[in-house]
Amino acid sequence: MSPLASQIVAVLESTPKQFSEIADAHLDLPWREFLQAWGEVRAADIVKRDGDGAYYIDAAEQE
Amino acid sequence: MARKGFRDFVDDLEQAGELCRVTKEVDPRQIPGLMAQAPEATFFENITGYPDWRLAGALVSTRKRLAISMDCSQDDIAFRFEEALGRLIDPIHVNEGACQEVVHTGDDVDLTAIPYPLMHVFDGGPYLSGTLVVSNDPEYGPNVGSYRLMYRTPRETGIDLVSSSDMRFYYQRALDQGKPLEIAVAIGLHPFEMLASSYKAPIRSNEFAIAGGLHGEAVPLVKCKTVDLEVPADAELVLEGELLPIGWTADEGPFGEFNQISGDVKWNPIFRVKCITHRRDPIFYLLQMPLENDWLSAPVTEAAGLQALRVASVEPVSIRAPVGSCGYWGLVASIRKRPGEGKNALLALLSVAEVKYAVVTDDDINIHDPDELDWAMALRVQADKDVIILTGARAKHIDPSVRAWELGKGGLPTTAKMGIDATIPEGIPKKFYKRIEQYGVDRVRLEDFL
Repeated sequence: MSPLASQIVAVLESTPKQFSEIADAHLDLPWREFLQAWGEVRAADIVKRDGDGAYYIDAAEQE
Repeated sequence: MARKGFRDFVDDLEQAGELCRVTKEVDPRQIPGLMAQAPEATFFENITGYPDWRLAGALVSTRKRLAISMDCSQDDIAFRFEEALGRLIDPIHVNEGACQEVVHTGDDVDLTAIPYPLMHVFDGGPYLSGTLVVSNDPEYGPNVGSYRLMYRTPRETGIDLVSSSDMRFYYQRALDQGKPLEIAVAIGLHPFEMLASSYKAPIRSNEFAIAGGLHGEAVPLVKCKTVDLEVPADAELVLEGELLPIGWTADEGPFGEFNQISGDVKWNPIFRVKCITHRRDPIFYLLQMPLENDWLSAPVTEAAGLQALRVASVEPVSIRAPVGSCGYWGLVASIRKRPGEGKNALLALLSVAEVKYAVVTDDDINIHDPDELDWAMALRVQADKDVIILTGARAKHIDPSVRAWELGKGGLPTTAKMGIDATIPEGIPKKFYKRIEQYGVDRVRLEDFL
């Protein structure tokens, strides 16, 4: 996983985030670069959704 | 007159003063916000990180712009669409199409190479909204519909197949055999193709023939590169691939729905993209939710209403599916009434798809003027005699009032429907509705006294 994708994983392990919140946290990056990293996270099949549609990762489940 | 395409329509909007051309460089993340502030349709010429692409959006976010696309008045939109339904023109097959000037297959397939937009705050990801999706079933034949696609990875998207549709039926049939369903997604088409794809045509119907009827000329179709399907040859962008045989198991949504509400997370199949083709100088089309979707939905609902009235032997004068009803849940019609036909008209209109309220007036009421409509409802309606309520009719999941979340997985909701007969009641002489006329208004002109 790329450093950027790992960074997104770390954020989602700490607290659920709406996709727009994840995007807003990476406004300094080119959109395409961010989408590629997000694609890595999704391809890893580790993200879940809460009742509000926010993304999160259950860190305990990954261990 | 030659058949008009997506680019011709963009030109028509500009000539009508209905297009805002943005020449400064914009980040893809700025586009939806800018688009929301423009009263006109928007065209972005310079997108950061996407030097080969331009982007057009909000093209038919008003009824006025829809009327421009249909080359008719706003009041005639429904009749124009109904006329096309009566003169279907089958598509023609061509060997080459501008949509395949550039072809990406294998490792070159990368959805991040197109300016995939994040449209709304609560969306589950970037979405493609203005799609025309082609599928095929060996027994029932080709089908065309419009489905949203949520970005997942450079080669996968989510797709909303929750509601019943012909393509959902095709997918279920393929799934039952453990097979994927091939689909092709065309983006950047004239509104006629989009209207045809929204029309709930009977299975085995050819939606491209409806688009042909609207154009007055056959739609040229070209064979896809990697799937056994055909798409409009003049599309800006085409995604080819298959819906994986995984059933309704992948998270998809929320998305800013056509009901003007942020939706929920749904469970849906995944679309795996095998090939991307596009024009050499492609224009990405961003269909602005919800209004652009609602205005495209309105003529479809209105034309179905006209057909239902005619089957019921009621003569329609005007009809509209209000944008406040998302162009989908409401119908208002004026008719040339004979005794009893106010009620017949309501029963006909309430039979259309998921229309859940209908209002019928006499032909002296301009139903496009809300004050006129209110006047008719205030003075021609006795609620105990002129309001019809039906229960247990078919409904749509995304109407919160049907409480779809209380149903089990796969459950289908039902709804009540209401009709208001705002025609002059039988037995009341028309003289009681004689309108006020200002004395002497025909003999003077105000400007002569200024």
